[in-house]
Amino acid sequence: MTTEIVAAPQRQRRPLILWAGLILVGLHVFAGLLSLVWLPYDPTAMAGGRLEGPSFLHWVGTDRLGRDLFTQMMIGSRIALTVGLGAVAIGAAIGVTLGILAAFATRWLDDALAATLDILIAFPTLLIAMLVVAASDTANLWSAIIALGIALSAIVARLTRILAKRVLVMDYITAARTSGSSWPKIVAIHILPNIWPTLAVNFALQFGLAVIAEASLSYLGLGAPPPNASWGRILQEAQGTVYTAPLGAIAPGIALVSLAIGVNLLADGLRDAIDPTRRSR
Amino acid sequence: MTTKTLLVAALLAGVTLPAAAFAQEYNADATIRIGSLYEPQNLDNTAGAGQGINEAFNGNVYEALFELTDAGSVEPKLVDSYETSEDGLTYTFKLKPGVTFHSGDPLTAADVKYSIERVTAEASKSSRKKSLSTITGIETPDDQTVVITLSARSISLPYNLSYVWIVNDAATDITATEDGTGPYTLGEWRRGSALALERNDAYWGDAPTNGEVIYTYFTDATALNNALLTNAVDIITSVQSPDSLAQFQGNSAYTVTEGASTTKEILAYNDRVAPFDNVKVRKALARATDKARLLNSIWGEYGTLIGSFVPPTDPWYVDLTSVDAYDVESAKALLAEAGYPDGFEFTLDTPDYDPHPIVAQFLQSEYAKIGVKVNINIITANEWYTKVYQAHDFQATLQEHVNHRDIVFYGNPDFYWGYNNPDVVKLIADSESAATEAEQTEKLTEANKLIAEDAASNWLYLYPQIVVSAANVTGYPVNGLNSQFFAYDIQKAE
Repeated sequence: MTTEIVAAPQRQRRPLILWAGLILVGLHVFAGLLSLVWLPYDPTAMAGGRLEGPSFLHWVGTDRLGRDLFTQMMIGSRIALTVGLGAVAIGAAIGVTLGILAAFATRWLDDALAATLDILIAFPTLLIAMLVVAASDTANLWSAIIALGIALSAIVARLTRILAKRVLVMDYITAARTSGSSWPKIVAIHILPNIWPTLAVNFALQFGLAVIAEASLSYLGLGAPPPNASWGRILQEAQGTVYTAPLGAIAPGIALVSLAIGVNLLADGLRDAIDPTRRSR
Repeated sequence: MTTKTLLVAALLAGVTLPAAAFAQEYNADATIRIGSLYEPQNLDNTAGAGQGINEAFNGNVYEALFELTDAGSVEPKLVDSYETSEDGLTYTFKLKPGVTFHSGDPLTAADVKYSIERVTAEASKSSRKKSLSTITGIETPDDQTVVITLSARSISLPYNLSYVWIVNDAATDITATEDGTGPYTLGEWRRGSALALERNDAYWGDAPTNGEVIYTYFTDATALNNALLTNAVDIITSVQSPDSLAQFQGNSAYTVTEGASTTKEILAYNDRVAPFDNVKVRKALARATDKARLLNSIWGEYGTLIGSFVPPTDPWYVDLTSVDAYDVESAKALLAEAGYPDGFEFTLDTPDYDPHPIVAQFLQSEYAKIGVKVNINIITANEWYTKVYQAHDFQATLQEHVNHRDIVFYGNPDFYWGYNNPDVVKLIADSESAATEAEQTEKLTEANKLIAEDAASNWLYLYPQIVVSAANVTGYPVNGLNSQFFAYDIQKAE
């Protein structure tokens, strides 16, 4: 009886989290998609004066060159989402493949892969991404996406390996094997559908990680080169004028934080929606 | 304490504090902490150390035969007296007696010969190497006498020698150590963070008015400003953004001084390669650049437009802002004449520190108006040095040139930007063999005009030179010619 009393408010809270996440992420998705077809100003046009404050013409003011900051922020949403999606897609492709291979591999190969993944995970994501960017010739959006994808793949691979191993010892796998199912078929029919919900939650978390890491790379000058208006780049350019025109630094900061919180809330909400053990608690 | 007594106390403090600062009451052993953005790459000014080494070492650790003072005049330093022969081809220098190096060795003529040859040597990366190329022989008849013979008259020999550190000839590698004659010796050098200079108590001249100087290096101007605000440094050698000045102006705890700068922000083309080998293309880009707007974007109310590579502190300055003034329509017409009616595309190698990335974006936006597409390639200062300066592997680049009297770079066709106009080369060479300074000035003024007409590079603006210090610190140089920052007269009241 007591469990029901405790569970009742929880059931109400969880959808709220999911909704909050959806709204925050949705706003960025909307801004990003809109930026493809319409922008308040040409992003490179020096439409206003130097460091103008917020006004009806420029909602969050202008930067040192007189470019509209709101326009830059919208493009920033698009870049952040592109990088997040791209990096997670690459991380998922590499990570899931490696993880399943490790789960199926012979004992020593599995141990070797597991050890390598642990070492890779010990390095901060940003550090690996910086190494990959430094190794490529020029920094651009794609080098940042690939770098982050590679950096994230280790975490995905480890999780996939553990989840797949857990499924592999199930009786129905043994049954499938004795009935002559091929390995690819077992992976497709039994393993992926079983581990997918947990992975999806993880991907959402990784997405948030990738967005922040891309901003960090851009802040360090290792992301997409100017004039690509990444939030990290806007922040970096506003740094020198943070005392006279603080909005230039605050606005991209809020955008970054809202998207990162949004995807985390979304991941939280998804986990509760998907995971029956948590739902019943 | 009541509000009234507080007020009185504040008024009294306001009256007495400045008086105390101007009196000679300073701490002779004070540590002066200088905040700078220019960390030297190494400690040898002939090994590509960057402008930071001039800031820290010129006049402080190393001295030269002559000194370029902060006011811009050239005064004898390690030279006691000198004579010039009738034909101007032989200079005889008598050295100051009683000068010793930090290692204890006395200064001799052999050290001077060694030091000059370090700069002119094959391996030397000194940007001033060519200006000493007229030297054909250095003789040392005795320990106190140096005789320099020249292949041609060189009116700026004393000036050029002010760049030549006198190094002990027993010191072979000075990239991480030093052996100079200056009022300071090298203390601890922590790469990436700070370089300490300690007072040389055996100094031959007047003792410094402080005990130690620590150059603290920052990669970020905001962090540097915060360091002054939190009393972590006493002086900022050159403020890099007008916005940070708001924090110091009108605050009696700080002194803001605007001096004469020699730092020029330029868009340097590789004049060897198409399309920049075409003078019409260069002129078109110059006319498509709204420099007044750019200067305002970067510096607000500060800075100057000069229209050439020559700042007003050089004797051969003329206002050339009317040459290729901002005019988008004529820029388009020139591009069409040059055979690029639809524009072209080029890569702009942009150093990764302020203001270059923002300047690059400005140019990108401006040139889009005439159909020229700029691809911004962000590079580090080290990459700039190897790729652009050494290998000449670039189309166009941004750089700040800090030197005083550096128009002579345009007389060197092998310089990184590869500008080669035989008339200019001749004028600059002839200006050196001028018999009088008036003749030298006349020739260089002429060269300056030709270079501007050729739009050899795109001279964007002249930086302001702004020094900010805590109010209790005085006696520092305000012009920073050649990025020198003499520390020996700095006083700190305590």
